[in-house]
Amino acid sequence: MSTSGEPIRNAKSGAQSNPLFQLGKERLELIGKHADTLMQGYLQGHIDESSFTQQALDKLINGRILWRPDEQHPLCLRPNVNELIAGLTQDERKRQINSDVGEHLDLIHTRVQSLQAARQKGDYAASEHHLQLLTERVHDMTGQFGDAIESLWHRLNTEFGFVSSLDDKILEIELAQRQLRRVLDGFKIINFDDLIQLAGSDGTLRKLLVSQLQARISEHSGSLFEVQKRLILLMARFRHQQERALLVNRMSAFLRQHPNFKVGDYPNRSHVPGVINQAHGIHAQGFIALDRPQDSYALAELARAIPRSLTPPLHSEKQTQGFDTGIQDLVATEQKQLAKDVEDFFLQVIDTTNALSGIEYLAEKELSWEPEMWLFQIVAEYEGLPQQNKNSFILKKDSARKSAFNHLHIIKDISLGMRFFGDFQAVG
Amino acid sequence: MIENGPLLERLLEGEFICAVTDEHSFHKLQKPQLVEDLNHFLRPLNRRVAKSEDGSVYFLAYCDLNQHARHQLSQQFNATVQSLLPMLEWMQLVQEAMGRDGALGAGDTIKLQDFESKVVDNQSLIQRLAHLSNDKLFKSTSDKSDMQIKQVFKRIKELGYLYQPHKDRLFYIVTGKVEQLIELVRFIKDEENVPIDDDAPEQEAMF
Repeated sequence: MSTSGEPIRNAKSGAQSNPLFQLGKERLELIGKHADTLMQGYLQGHIDESSFTQQALDKLINGRILWRPDEQHPLCLRPNVNELIAGLTQDERKRQINSDVGEHLDLIHTRVQSLQAARQKGDYAASEHHLQLLTERVHDMTGQFGDAIESLWHRLNTEFGFVSSLDDKILEIELAQRQLRRVLDGFKIINFDDLIQLAGSDGTLRKLLVSQLQARISEHSGSLFEVQKRLILLMARFRHQQERALLVNRMSAFLRQHPNFKVGDYPNRSHVPGVINQAHGIHAQGFIALDRPQDSYALAELARAIPRSLTPPLHSEKQTQGFDTGIQDLVATEQKQLAKDVEDFFLQVIDTTNALSGIEYLAEKELSWEPEMWLFQIVAEYEGLPQQNKNSFILKKDSARKSAFNHLHIIKDISLGMRFFGDFQAVG
Repeated sequence: MIENGPLLERLLEGEFICAVTDEHSFHKLQKPQLVEDLNHFLRPLNRRVAKSEDGSVYFLAYCDLNQHARHQLSQQFNATVQSLLPMLEWMQLVQEAMGRDGALGAGDTIKLQDFESKVVDNQSLIQRLAHLSNDKLFKSTSDKSDMQIKQVFKRIKELGYLYQPHKDRLFYIVTGKVEQLIELVRFIKDEENVPIDDDAPEQEAMF
């Protein structure tokens, strides 16, 4: 996979004249041209041959993009094309971790020897070429580690989201752990003493093979140990989840099969297990208390803040019960009107802070009701209110004894006001 | 101590405090000094701050297991055991409908709408829901799946296993109290030697 190069630097002279340039460009273009169908093949695992012309197929096969693993097998992407796509798309299902270090080290040795031979001959161009290949090789090796680590991190951070079931996730973590160990083993093969010797006194080589490489490897090792730690944590979490799911499933199956299953009387054992020791709730209630003068202002504020219902449910058929409905048909409309006028009176009371006199209101509105009937209806309306609404009003009867000889009281007027905490001013 | 009044009150009312229901208080309760202070206050009320084994939820336990405390514990324990099977079945139902393969845990979110659409797509889930909602723990009288779901979730919320962040949105988060329930299940399994550890897993596939 040492296809990466530096095409820009010697663009004109070096790279373009190289016969590889044209060939590589053609093949990359070939991939681009058939991107749709190739991606389909990547996802399906094989290529739909009918979507290509024979000529295109031949080109793709000759271009080392497609191959046929055996006679019976349909065409599919070559492994390194698969790997290329998986790497580009971070597709963790197919991404491979290449932890082979031995081959890289072998090649590094060879390159260094060629380089030194060219230098001894004084062949400047050849030594430049070998240095470039050597640099690439070293970068390939560290890049390969970097890719592996990046892939591990990616899988970790997505919590192995590319597989759905918990069992699969656990298998994937086990796989990742094995890969990680192989990468770490690979690090051990790199023997820096050998590399120091190999570089000798050459500054460029020392930098490339020793200081840079060492820095990268130690950076990678740090990262890998972190991955390892996180993998273990994630594994513990998945195992924990798996155990819980099993527990829930099996316990409920057991309880269904044994409907008469009796649990021990743990609350009355000498040692009560902690898991069932849960105190029952107590509600600490507080009430309005007027025994501290300094609170009265705050309490009055609270009382004023209580929203008054704008349309008290005053209108109700029941409220007219106290009224004589002897000739119902005839008085029904009249009575409705009376009830409505009384209701208006109540609304007026709600809207004013002071208490209102029933008789005064009657006169002020020039209503035609007999005062006695009017007052009676107010009382009836008041009595007909639900208790909690009734408490919002204060009704005072202004009555006088009819004669000294009996206890008959005649109600002369009624004052009705809203009840506030402390600031109701009763009238008359 | 004044600033911990509301927290104390909630604990006294029997609330379970976890990272889902009240993250701030939950973190406060992780400080041993505060727990000590609270315990000092709670001592005359025969209560102390307790937590689940995994530390994911805090609640009050009795200090002294006197007759009264045992009586309360008995009632509560019986109620919990009675509700155990329907609770486990509910967990399984959610787990299967939502296509999870881990048991529900604190912090898991359930959108009622998603759950409902998954259930009504599947005849066997509809039947299981109907059976479950009929249980005396949930007491649903409706024969409509959506009403049954609402009732079941409402009850589980009342029991403290679900938290509803917005009153008018049907979106729930599983609370830490579920961990306490799981611990109880594990406890019963171990203590009563319920033979489910080496059961063949195929057995549960029947249900």
